[in-house]
Amino acid sequence: MGEGAKLNARGFGLAVPLLAVSFAMAAVNWTAVSKLWATLILITYGSVLVNVGVHYVPVGGAPAAMATATGVGTGTTQLAAGSGLTGLITAAAMSDKPFSVILANGAAGAAVMMAITMLVGNLIYVYGVGCPPCSAKVDRDPLTGWDQEPYVTPGTEGHGIPTVSFVSGIFGGLLGGTGGAMTYFALYKVLGMSAALAGVLAMGFFYANAVLASYNIGGTIEGYHDPKFTRVPRAAACSIAFGIVASIIAYVMSTYV
Amino acid sequence: MVGLTEIGLTAAMGALATIAGAFEDAESDVGSQSNPNSQVQLAPQMMNFHRYFNKAISGEPVSYMMYGAVAGTVTWVMMTKFGLPFLAAAAIGVGVNALIHMAFSTTAHLGRIASAAEFGHPIYLDVVLSHLGPIAGFGGIATFAIISLAYLQWSALKHPFPLPLLAALWGVTVGAIGSSTGDVHYGAERLYQHYPFGGGVPVAAHGNITRKAETGIRNSMDSVYFCAKFGCPLTGLCFGLVVFFSTWAGLFGQWGAVIAMLLVTLGCLIVSNRIEKWARENYGTYEDVELDEICDAV
Repeated sequence: MGEGAKLNARGFGLAVPLLAVSFAMAAVNWTAVSKLWATLILITYGSVLVNVGVHYVPVGGAPAAMATATGVGTGTTQLAAGSGLTGLITAAAMSDKPFSVILANGAAGAAVMMAITMLVGNLIYVYGVGCPPCSAKVDRDPLTGWDQEPYVTPGTEGHGIPTVSFVSGIFGGLLGGTGGAMTYFALYKVLGMSAALAGVLAMGFFYANAVLASYNIGGTIEGYHDPKFTRVPRAAACSIAFGIVASIIAYVMSTYV
Repeated sequence: MVGLTEIGLTAAMGALATIAGAFEDAESDVGSQSNPNSQVQLAPQMMNFHRYFNKAISGEPVSYMMYGAVAGTVTWVMMTKFGLPFLAAAAIGVGVNALIHMAFSTTAHLGRIASAAEFGHPIYLDVVLSHLGPIAGFGGIATFAIISLAYLQWSALKHPFPLPLLAALWGVTVGAIGSSTGDVHYGAERLYQHYPFGGGVPVAAHGNITRKAETGIRNSMDSVYFCAKFGCPLTGLCFGLVVFFSTWAGLFGQWGAVIAMLLVTLGCLIVSNRIEKWARENYGTYEDVELDEICDAV
């Protein structure tokens, strides 16, 4: 319980400032800054947001598809990409609106995809497979305080998406969607690419960060209460390196090609 | 202000998405393309020979992104360069994609099954031939629905992304949803149907998949018959809701959209929490069950 609560606080403590800084950035008029700096900051910060966001998404990989591990039954990259790219579609629908609107729509679009997918996933675990959602990494759900261990099928590491993982997944959607929308904004508005090219590049950058996060997670993670969540700083460092390279390539592409 | 026409269009997109989601899951069940595929691949190593179709071209989101992009691009070219109406262009696009889909399915299945030859597993050519039709058919219906909803979003709702990109992005989403929801029904329930209902699959049971059908030996088409009753419709419902809510919310203006989507998210959280509580109260705990009891075949 103690360890779970600490990680839980750390998770919240990370997600809230990241989202707050994103929206504080939204208040600044980026087109006034030098194009290169704006691109550099937006794409690098967007990459970090996507990478950290993927760590929040509860995925169990192939084992979860057999109800052998807690989380959504698919790969880390796949689910994060599905939600982040839904966010990209909702963000792009607001292409001619201000930065904060694009950002918020991207975040909400990704969160709504995550929430509906996790809800339907739980419907299948409960009514199709017949097992209650529970986690094997913590004794009690840090949010609801419900016992977990007695509900875990012997020989498995939990199944389904318990409330704490659900909330974590929504955070993951919000962060991933914000990151994707931020990258799209940098490419579309700051660098002046066409919507289609900006969309394709944003999708590529999103996938790159999701794969980096996937390597860091190594298969399964239950959300911010999972001990693996402590690996986040390494992921952020990777994303900063990737973001700098990606933003320079994008800048050079749009300026000199 | 939100007009009735726009709401009708988003509802039509939701309906198309429901069809796309349901058939996407059916396609992944008949081809065993999803995370449960690991079990179909593992079975011969556990000396469980089977007649399942075993294709894992790639993760579902990536393969559906490819189908959406291929079909969308061909449709786009037919519309813009040859002046065909949308339905005719989409039919050609989906047809071209179905050929690519079948080629990938054949090579993926034969390659994977041939790799099990060292355990003495045979290649059943009748399985290859009989399953290719349903794979291409289900995949074609799913792709057609994705292209159609992308066309509605691009032409009527004036989304800035072009049709092929929208089709590719929605392809990623439908693949992610199919492999997260419907495939759990296939992997955790259908592939292990000779184990008692009401629990996850213990690691010790992995690879010991159900190989007998109601009569005779089971193949992947029997799996679709089962999953079409629960897994496929729920996958369709999920993708339909995602497409509908994310598009419908956009009609409420820039901040109204955010509020609408966050309210839907909150609603999902509450419903999921209630379902979790219901399951805990009604199913109870596993404290009296021994591992051997679950792992022994019934």
